[in-house]
Amino acid sequence: MKTTTTLAHMAFAAVTAAILFAPGAHADVDTDFANQLHTYGIYGQRDYNAWIGKITCERLATHLDATAFESATFLKGNLARTTSTEQVWQFLAAAVQTYCPEQTPALRAAADHSRQTTKEQT
Amino acid sequence: MTNRRPLMQRCAKTVVALMISTVMSGTAPASADATDDYPIPHRMIITACDAEQYLDAARDTSPVYFERYMIDKGNRPAGIQQMAEDRIHWFFSLSPVGRRQYSEDTATNIYYEQVATHWGNWAKVFFNNKGVVAKATDVCTKYPRGDMSVWDWR
Repeated sequence: MKTTTTLAHMAFAAVTAAILFAPGAHADVDTDFANQLHTYGIYGQRDYNAWIGKITCERLATHLDATAFESATFLKGNLARTTSTEQVWQFLAAAVQTYCPEQTPALRAAADHSRQTTKEQT
Repeated sequence: MTNRRPLMQRCAKTVVALMISTVMSGTAPASADATDDYPIPHRMIITACDAEQYLDAARDTSPVYFERYMIDKGNRPAGIQQMAEDRIHWFFSLSPVGRRQYSEDTATNIYYEQVATHWGNWAKVFFNNKGVVAKATDVCTKYPRGDMSVWDWR
């Protein structure tokens, strides 16, 4: 139960932060994405992270991942093992914001679901 | 002149000796013989999953490798794509012994696999990377058999 609440908080915080603090766009989208990941302490190969970000969007667009929670599960399995749950959500929010802003409703839905879950538990 | 003859004689003897030793030793083994892991990884040879289960798993466990394979596939003519799908279905229909023999055949004869003459990396996601194969075969039984939609990734 406590874990669910923690996850819910992380999802909500990551989504909110990504929406509020979106950096300005530069010439190279992948570089902007990498720079944003660095602010979360997520490193690794720039190209790999960009691929994963775009694939995450593709999976949402094709409904292979029906929700942002499924996206997070996909990311958890494909980012470095040391990546925390909070960083997974930050990665997801940054990927959506960078590569598929049209998927923002999926993030909002996750955040709303998290808020609802938190309310029910308190 | 007197010094040259012994030198020439020595050279001739060496050449003859080399020729004899080559003939005596028989044919040298082919340098590209297959092993249990090459060119086709052992786990691919023994997996009980079908092609679609394996692809579904690779899509989730090695997404970038899978994506690049699918992009490459999408850039091929439709007939070649179909040829590759049919050929991998044929491969998965083989027993482990048959797959191992196929691995041997492709390792020792570069013209054995006809699909490869049209598309060199036609089976890259299936054969070329032990790590990709290991991760996907670990979990492929969790996916449905015969899910052809996995081929329509792009």
